[in-house]
Amino acid sequence: MRISTIALASLRRRKGKALFLMSGIGIGIGTAVALLSLSGSLRDEIGSQLDRFGANIVVTPHSDSLALDYGGISVAGVSFDQHQLSDADVAGISRIRYRKRLSVIAPKLIGTTEVDGRKTLIAGVDFSSELRLKKWWRLTGRPPESPTDVLLGYEIARAVSAIQAVPGSLAKTDRGTPHHVATPEEIRITKQKVSLGGREHRISGVIAQTGGPEDRMVFAQLGQVQGLLGRSGQLSVIEVSALCKDCPVEDIVAQIKQELPHANVSAIQQSVRARAEAVDRLSRFSLVVSAVVLAIGALMVFTTMMGAVVERTKEIGVLRAIGFRKTHIIRSLMIEVVIISAAGGVGGWLAGLLAGRLALPYFTEGGAQMELRLSLAVFAVAVAMGTGIISSIYPALRASRLDPSEAVRYV
Amino acid sequence: MAFVVVENVSKTYSDQESGIGVPVLRAVSTEIAEGEFVSLMGPSGSGKSTLLTILGAMNHPSQGRLLIDDIDVYALSDERRADFRSQYLGFVFQQHHLMPYLNAIENAMLPLATLPMSSLEKRRRGLEVLEKVGLAEKAKRLPNQLSGGEQGRLAIARALVNDPPLVLADEPTGTLDTKTGDEIMRVFLDLNRRGQTIFMVTHNPENASLAHRVLHIRDGELEFAPDSTAGTASRFSPAL
Ligand SMILES: Nc1ncnc2c1ncn2[C@@H]1O[C@H](COP(=O)(O)OP(=O)(O)OP(=O)(O)O)[C@@H](O)[C@H]1O
Ligand SMILES: [Mg+2]
Repeated sequence: MRISTIALASLRRRKGKALFLMSGIGIGIGTAVALLSLSGSLRDEIGSQLDRFGANIVVTPHSDSLALDYGGISVAGVSFDQHQLSDADVAGISRIRYRKRLSVIAPKLIGTTEVDGRKTLIAGVDFSSELRLKKWWRLTGRPPESPTDVLLGYEIARAVSAIQAVPGSLAKTDRGTPHHVATPEEIRITKQKVSLGGREHRISGVIAQTGGPEDRMVFAQLGQVQGLLGRSGQLSVIEVSALCKDCPVEDIVAQIKQELPHANVSAIQQSVRARAEAVDRLSRFSLVVSAVVLAIGALMVFTTMMGAVVERTKEIGVLRAIGFRKTHIIRSLMIEVVIISAAGGVGGWLAGLLAGRLALPYFTEGGAQMELRLSLAVFAVAVAMGTGIISSIYPALRASRLDPSEAVRYV
Repeated sequence: MAFVVVENVSKTYSDQESGIGVPVLRAVSTEIAEGEFVSLMGPSGSGKSTLLTILGAMNHPSQGRLLIDDIDVYALSDERRADFRSQYLGFVFQQHHLMPYLNAIENAMLPLATLPMSSLEKRRRGLEVLEKVGLAEKAKRLPNQLSGGEQGRLAIARALVNDPPLVLADEPTGTLDTKTGDEIMRVFLDLNRRGQTIFMVTHNPENASLAHRVLHIRDGELEFAPDSTAGTASRFSPAL
């Protein structure tokens, strides 16, 4: 026999009322969970769409000259630069306050060199980050492993006769439309090595035709290219990709600018942003609706608890008369409320997940997943309990202040 | 010094509508010795329940003092007074006020719920008081599965479980027929013979006369009762 024994017995006795309260809280939590998980899934979908677009922040040196061009971004020529970007700037970017929101930092040095005797654009890159950034690249062969491995763009590979069409698909390529883009399966690497600035490098892979600037470029390991071009430690551009579900791109740009005052930092505006904003509005709407439904649930708890206190005046008076402190009365009522609202929270979470999952196909183009997020479950139960407790504080205080002598006088 | 000392206790309720003070108790003084069985009689509305709740440490008097075991009860804070009730007092209410959702032994153990005591010890004590009132066999029954007399005895068991020096009862036989009323009185007399101090409000003169002393109250004032010596009605003699 403890205070919790009384609370549990009282709950068992008043099952109907307990279920009513539980469902009240459950509906509120369920609505919140359904809406939040729905908008969460939509955000995830948009996030992955944004990721497919690659870098959304580009860092270049301040410069007056427009010597070289890379994908529509001007890359400064060497001789006119006042301030070069350097390896240290990469470290600078990874020091900004929002560094956790950055998914990829891809530094590059771009210059020209002779590839098998042809003057060609060469980019020194950090392959692990570059390949994460350029998710649309499709390789024939393998990603570079050793520092001397290189990737060739499609046009260059053709020019130096490093690839051949796979027999059978050749006819298709020749016969096909002029815009036909060869897939990685349609070509085969026929050459092991290529000379870069007079030094032999192994061709580890060829980037399938993209139609972009990389078709006419060679990619090698950053250190190698810095050595080759005699520009040790220097960079021409740093591409940065932020985790864009909820990234404050403007803030990130400002922080990088602060860290690298000598550099140009610009955000690439994406068309997807419009959709991201729509989803933002949806999540705000979800929050408002959830708050309203929860407020109604809280009101329900409040009135039911106030009613329960009146209904139990006698009972509470008796408990006070036989030596229960005010705090014991409050504790006993709160144990009931916590059990009811925790159960309502769990039930609401399950119902909300189910509802969200059923509704998801109507909001997405398919492929969107609804993750089982533990944080959402914790949130649901915590909010349910918070709602229950907060809306019961006043009724419980009222109960504890009941005059015990009333219990004796009661007829 | 007597165990309970009521010193010039007055109580005035303010009328809800007019807000004018209505005196209910006027300068009541009395003493109760340890082991005494005192009953209180008086017409309806004379202030019996009011005096009982004041003795019960749950109704602040407008004036005067209450000393129990030399403790100035109403000088204690509200929460300390709850602790005092838990330590010193056992209540038997007219309507019994059992918790309908707790079975007999749980009802009997109710006053122990707030005490730091092993659940084994609580159960042992619960069973002990049920045995005292002859309900040990019905420990698992809910109150509505007990007869009126059994409910009354269960209410007494609950009042005894914390081993209180003073038991207070407000018309414990009021709702019962004569036979079950006698059943309850027998339990009280039995307890008193083993040294339990009891203060009981009753309308029934026969039951009142079973006590050592009968107090009479009228319009909030104790009357001097010439016939206030102990008496035990003959109909109980064979049982005792
Ligand atoms: N809380 C209260 N507020 C206002 N008046 C009260 C209150 N409690 C009691 N009274 C009044 O005080 C008077 C005495 O009440 P009390 O309950 O003590 O009488 P009683 O002697 O126990 O009567 P009964 O035999 O009918 O139980 C009554 O007139 C009652 O209306
Ligand atoms: Mg009364």
